[in-house]
Amino acid sequence: MITPILSVEDLTMHYATRAGNISAVNNVSFSLAEGESLGLVGESGCGKTSIALCLLKLLPDNACIKGGHVWMGDTDLVPLSDEEMRGFRWNRISMVFQAAMNSLNPVYKVGDQIVEAMQEHLGVMTGQQARDRVAELFKLVGIDPAMMDRYPHEFSGGMRQRAVIAMALSCNPEVIIADEPTTALDVIVQDRVLRKLEEIQEALNMAMIYISHDIAVIAEVSDRIGVMYAGRMAEIATSVEIFERPLHPYSHALMGAFPSIRGKKRELVPLPGEPPDLLHPPSGCRFHPRCPCATEICRQKTPPFKDHGGGHLAACWHPLEVGP
Amino acid sequence: MNQSTCQEISDKSLPTEPLWRIRLRLMWRGLGRNWAFFVENRIGLVGLGIILFFFLLMIAHPILMSTVWDPVVYDPVIGYDEITIDVTVVDGQITDSLQEINIDVAKIDYDPAAQVGDVLTILAQPAPPSRAHLLGTDPLGRDVLSQLMYSTASEFTLGIMAALVTVFIATTIGAVSAYYGGLIDTFFMRLADLIIILPFLPILIVLGALFDLELIHLALLIGVLGGFGGTTLIIKAQALTVKVKPFIEAARIAGGSDWHVIFTHLVPNLMPLAFLYMMFTVTGAIFSEAVLSFFGLLDINMSWGIMIQLAQNQGYLLSGTRYWWLLMPSGLAICLLCTAFYLVGRALDEVVNPRLRQR
Amino acid sequence: MTGFILRRTAQIVLTLVVFQTLLFFLLQAQPGGIQYQFIGNPDIPPEAQQLIIERLGLDQPLEKQYLNYLKNFLTGNLGFSFVHYPRPVMDIIAERAPRTILLFLTATVVSFYTGFFLGRILAWQRGGLVEYGVTLGGSFLYTVFTPWFGLVMIWIFAFKLDWLPVGKFLNPLKWQDAPVRANVVFGHMLLTALVLSLLLFILYLVTHKIGQWKDPIRRVGITGFLLVTVGVWAASGLGGYALDIAGHLVLPTLTITLTAFASTMLLTRNSMLETLREDYILTARAKGLSERVVRDRHAARNALLPVVTSLVLNLAAVISGGIITETIFSWPGMGLTLLQAAQQKDIPLAMGALTFVGVLALIAHLVVDVLYAFLDPRIRYH
Repeated sequence: MITPILSVEDLTMHYATRAGNISAVNNVSFSLAEGESLGLVGESGCGKTSIALCLLKLLPDNACIKGGHVWMGDTDLVPLSDEEMRGFRWNRISMVFQAAMNSLNPVYKVGDQIVEAMQEHLGVMTGQQARDRVAELFKLVGIDPAMMDRYPHEFSGGMRQRAVIAMALSCNPEVIIADEPTTALDVIVQDRVLRKLEEIQEALNMAMIYISHDIAVIAEVSDRIGVMYAGRMAEIATSVEIFERPLHPYSHALMGAFPSIRGKKRELVPLPGEPPDLLHPPSGCRFHPRCPCATEICRQKTPPFKDHGGGHLAACWHPLEVGP
Repeated sequence: MNQSTCQEISDKSLPTEPLWRIRLRLMWRGLGRNWAFFVENRIGLVGLGIILFFFLLMIAHPILMSTVWDPVVYDPVIGYDEITIDVTVVDGQITDSLQEINIDVAKIDYDPAAQVGDVLTILAQPAPPSRAHLLGTDPLGRDVLSQLMYSTASEFTLGIMAALVTVFIATTIGAVSAYYGGLIDTFFMRLADLIIILPFLPILIVLGALFDLELIHLALLIGVLGGFGGTTLIIKAQALTVKVKPFIEAARIAGGSDWHVIFTHLVPNLMPLAFLYMMFTVTGAIFSEAVLSFFGLLDINMSWGIMIQLAQNQGYLLSGTRYWWLLMPSGLAICLLCTAFYLVGRALDEVVNPRLRQR
Repeated sequence: MTGFILRRTAQIVLTLVVFQTLLFFLLQAQPGGIQYQFIGNPDIPPEAQQLIIERLGLDQPLEKQYLNYLKNFLTGNLGFSFVHYPRPVMDIIAERAPRTILLFLTATVVSFYTGFFLGRILAWQRGGLVEYGVTLGGSFLYTVFTPWFGLVMIWIFAFKLDWLPVGKFLNPLKWQDAPVRANVVFGHMLLTALVLSLLLFILYLVTHKIGQWKDPIRRVGITGFLLVTVGVWAASGLGGYALDIAGHLVLPTLTITLTAFASTMLLTRNSMLETLREDYILTARAKGLSERVVRDRHAARNALLPVVTSLVLNLAAVISGGIITETIFSWPGMGLTLLQAAQQKDIPLAMGALTFVGVLALIAHLVVDVLYAFLDPRIRYH
């Protein structure tokens, strides 16, 4: 069994607010192997971005990791102090944020901002060395290297996105987290950026966690897919498995909401109800209020997240046996 | 579909309440919500409290004048009270002018036969606080408390008048510039630039020298200078953000004339911000008046600035704390009222600008 | 960038012309009209008045007078003072301007930096007693009656504690054997300030790209420049005099700073709070940068922008505060001149002083605009 490059065990995190504690991440576990790309999919507010922030320990002051471990190599990131965490950030695990338009500081040149990251982690390098490396990165993502001396407002939306990706790659991290990297772009640019990301990932054999609410996009780029619901991991399997043989009713519903261009024309079946209030989450399995197959045990006890054969994990008392 | 059914349908879709009632209710509710935000930050309440205090002072004055106080004594401008104190004649330096008098001065001014150790009864203005005069009297024998209360009215008038003028001008120009753009916009913005750059006070000082300024002139002047200046830029920026909202477009399509759209739709959305800047204008107005009066450049009878000026002219200002009632009440009043409006403005800032709220 | 500077300068010049036009009409509006500026002095005998009217063309139509007025302004002919007759106004301005400029520059820089640093610290103390205390304190200082405040400062520091001189800008006793006039020393001090600023500016530009060694080199550079400055002054023999002037500068600067810093401080705090919510701050943290670097290099730099914009408003406040302060401290600069001229109804001098104030404000405005363009690259490409 190959040692995973990143391993999350029973991660639990909540936000403390005036109204109470919001249980944003609850007993989430998954692992990431080298060179693998994992897609995290789910509705808005299901905890995908929260997990990403947990991994980098970039949580706001009112957030608190209550338990669990995040193993990177031999180190557990959870108990690390901020000082210690700084050595990991960007260096070993980096992130491309949602709506990366604003991820670049408007008053500094784009090249300088990338150089800043490198100087923090890669040690002393001369000015020329740094510039060469930035030029290399720009070529990799498909931007004219001359643009490195320009300011962010001189870049187009797609170029800014790619620049941010280049910045994320700059310190040769082992893992990159991409949080909705193409949401703010139009479809054509989105396609280009996705292709580029795939290329880069293969070329550098980099592990990637891809977060999105758009299944179509997830399906294209991920080797494995993790379906999240209400702060919990509902199901993890390879992309093919998730599509052809979803075990969790929620995953099944998600697939049902996804129109197929080539397949048979069928009616889209929306899921009734709304995502639960994480301030007072439902008891037992958090999906039970909306689940067509829910029974008494679903309401009373939380289903364990277990392997149903061949690395296909799901948390459900009544996993579906048949395909779509 | 026949005519009557259409009529039924359209009748059913009419609001059951008259429109003004609905608007009033919405406004009331909005007010309640904004009050909750305002109250959250206690400094706004402090400011409001102080303003209320001064308002009460202002109302109390005419009441007192017509009932308890004798106008001959207590009139703020022409009152006079004969107050005497007993002082001891000493030789050499006096340490306390309210208890001692130098023998040479005593011989010249009062009794040529005075001797060291005698106790003389002399007229004393300014007199320290006593039961008759809670804050003492000024060098001309007038009651300080009466002056303080009397001036409150003119300070309020000055401040609010200047503020209203400023807000009226700034809102109109801001809205018009934002709406029309082009040459009108450029003209007013350049004008505003000019006014922002030039400092307020020197201009007022020179104007005070060229013309005889009374309170109302000052108020108008401050109002106009403020109205064409910085406030306009801020309100215009806000107007630009409102202009692109769909309901403006809707109003235009519905056939509203330009003026209608500007004054019925655009301006009401600028009111909160304008109201906020009114507060700062009042602060500036009161302060400017005090400074100008202090330097003797205004043509008015009585104000807090005049009170301090009199104290300065007669040399009592730097006497340390001996004649504190000449300086503290008026100085404190200026400071408190200006601060009060400023604090209210700051609290309103948190209401109007959601990003500054603590949540 | 140069294009921006040129455009801005042209605009400022235009504004200056408009300003002078307004002053012209102001003069015209008062009883007696523009003639009053030159012949309003009752000491001038009627024959001389007639001569002046003819010589200066004061009986010509308004448009001609207006052009004359502008021409006079550009050639520095601002009339003759009533009170100090027959001294020309320009002469008085030339004598007193350097003192005001020195006070103004010092006060602006000190009050801005104080406000900025305190505001930055304040942004980290959301809520709680510190915020209320500083807000109330700041509001108090902002609205306190400046003349009174100045007098209190004198009373505390000069009378009671005897740490600082009472007023004026120099101690006549110390200057009895001075080889040069006071204005020369003032001029030298201004020159020093200018040269130092330029050197610092160049130092910053040059060390911008270096990276690792940036901070130590800058510190060494600054210390070096200061040592050289002190050395040059000491060697020239004028050091003592400059120190005397500097000593007299402290209390007025302190007074102006205390009244003017509050608005900058509060604005900085607000600006920092807003900036800290931006996405690029999260990115900076994600890059593994230390909290201090995130705050100072990323947040502060952006938060600075609206504060510099407000510096323009602050300038006006510093000038106004300066006038009051000069009067209270008997600092014989243009502010005192303006006030005294107004009180004595010396119209030509008052107008001349107002013109000076206007020009000073405009130049300061231009400098701040250029500074802002330097800080915010988005502005440069209009």
